[in-house]
Amino acid sequence: MRGLRLQLIVGVTAVFAAAMSVSIAQERARARSPAPTGAKLAFVDLQNNARIASKVTLRFSITGMEIAPAGTARRNAGHHHLLIDTELPPLGQPIPSDFNHLHFGGGQSEAEILLSPGRHTLQLLFADHDHVPHDPPVMSEKITVEVTAAPEEKPRTAAAPNARIFFVGLQDGAVIPPRSVVRFGQENIAIVPAGTKQDNAGHHHLLVDTELPPLDREIPSDFNHLHFGRGQTETELTLPPGEHTLQLLFADHEHVPHDPPVMSQKIRVRVQEASATASATRPPPATAAPPRAASGRTPAPNDAAVYFVYPRNGTRIFATSTIRFGLRNMGVAPAGVVRPNTGHHHLLIDVPTPPLDAAIPADLNHIHLGNGQTERKITLPPGEHTLQLILGDDQHVPHDPPIVSERITVYVGSAAKRSARR
Amino acid sequence: MIAVQRDLALRAALLLALALTASSPSAQTAQRQPAPRNAMVYFHYPLDGLRVPERFTVRIGLKEMGVAPAGVDKPGTGHHHLLIDTDPGPPDQPIPADYNHIHLGNGQTEVVVTLPKGTHTLQLLLGDHSHTPHKPPVLSQKITVYVR
Repeated sequence: MRGLRLQLIVGVTAVFAAAMSVSIAQERARARSPAPTGAKLAFVDLQNNARIASKVTLRFSITGMEIAPAGTARRNAGHHHLLIDTELPPLGQPIPSDFNHLHFGGGQSEAEILLSPGRHTLQLLFADHDHVPHDPPVMSEKITVEVTAAPEEKPRTAAAPNARIFFVGLQDGAVIPPRSVVRFGQENIAIVPAGTKQDNAGHHHLLVDTELPPLDREIPSDFNHLHFGRGQTETELTLPPGEHTLQLLFADHEHVPHDPPVMSQKIRVRVQEASATASATRPPPATAAPPRAASGRTPAPNDAAVYFVYPRNGTRIFATSTIRFGLRNMGVAPAGVVRPNTGHHHLLIDVPTPPLDAAIPADLNHIHLGNGQTERKITLPPGEHTLQLILGDDQHVPHDPPIVSERITVYVGSAAKRSARR
Repeated sequence: MIAVQRDLALRAALLLALALTASSPSAQTAQRQPAPRNAMVYFHYPLDGLRVPERFTVRIGLKEMGVAPAGVDKPGTGHHHLLIDTDPGPPDQPIPADYNHIHLGNGQTEVVVTLPKGTHTLQLLLGDHSHTPHKPPVLSQKITVYVR
């Protein structure tokens, strides 16, 4: 009962308010402020069908009239209203105030607005101190803008318009062996490693058997999108026999393609069988000897690296510590296992780097991790020590190029301190 | 008195041995590679609860065992598998190969992954030459990372 009465009161009030506003509107309709004939209203630097970011600053220009804050009645003056995704409101009454009708009653002539991705219409409408459009109404053209997805907010790294990248010595339709070296070339754009921010510079990506990824974001990293973040201009590529497509795509320090994107033509290559006899007998890959480099040593990717996960250079460690090894762009295999792009670790303690073209010696200072271990607990006497890692192939010989870490220095608890504690 | 204690200890050992053999079907033990009891696989990076970029390198540590590429049958070795947003399957089955189970079959000890923004779980599991977990499975703690 009480609820009903309340509803009734609300309803009556609403009807009354509506009647009031209608009467006010009718009254206002008669009192529209005049506008001079030459008045013009427009957006600054925003064309019809423009592509804009979702967060954008719009600027308005009015000629032939003056801007006055709402509430200030002055001849030939008024304030801006921005109509978003809406038709013109009735001109004889105040412009509504909601999400589609933005009022700039403080006399602003620019506004930062946030639009959802997609197409939107924008229109400016000038109105007087009471928010009623002038007579004749002063308005801009109704323009359509397209808001692109959010990543547009971050501008992509610029590239020279005549920059181009291409395969060197590899034509469309070429027949290549299963393991071949692919070389990349570039013109009018510089090569810098990933992570180095620089205009008109970047690093290569090789797209294998895949379409172009979205160009406004980071290139994926997987078997189909090979990154050459160290600025390499060639790679050894192993492909199964058959038809494959290859394409180069340049990208900036964050692996995002440039603006405009720099890419090569997408080429088709046919990979032939290794050899007729090999395919007939089908030996398991483990027994097939990898090709030897010119030096006779096992080749290694030129972006492979070995490093210490622990300890860091110059740090103090316990006498008994676990030394942890990291290996980038290669795999670990026990000694004696012949596999391309693998090797096993050697930890060198307090010795200079051994000759890189012979088997790494085996003694107390050259610890072989022949079972494929990636860490080793060692005990060192107090004092200063050097540690270095070298990867060895199945025969304990360093690769070509050798995969050697920097030689780090560590300190084992100082003797003076220890005696003082005792 | 001493004799009684020794008898008790013997009986306990026998019982334990019986319980052990009963709990492990012999058919599967024959196929699965044994792992040292203190073997452990763990993350150098990232650590549990870390915020990481969309593209990051997972670095893997392995204790008391060695790494060998898939297909290399050598006792005390295995190769890493990175499990993303998934739980390990039955330990006597080969680890599946899909986007949630990344095989580091060439003996890699680190891998670059690109994950969509949000919360993800990562876990490491060692597999033997035939991608089957060891006995007992060498499994890391399951960690959560927040990709921002």
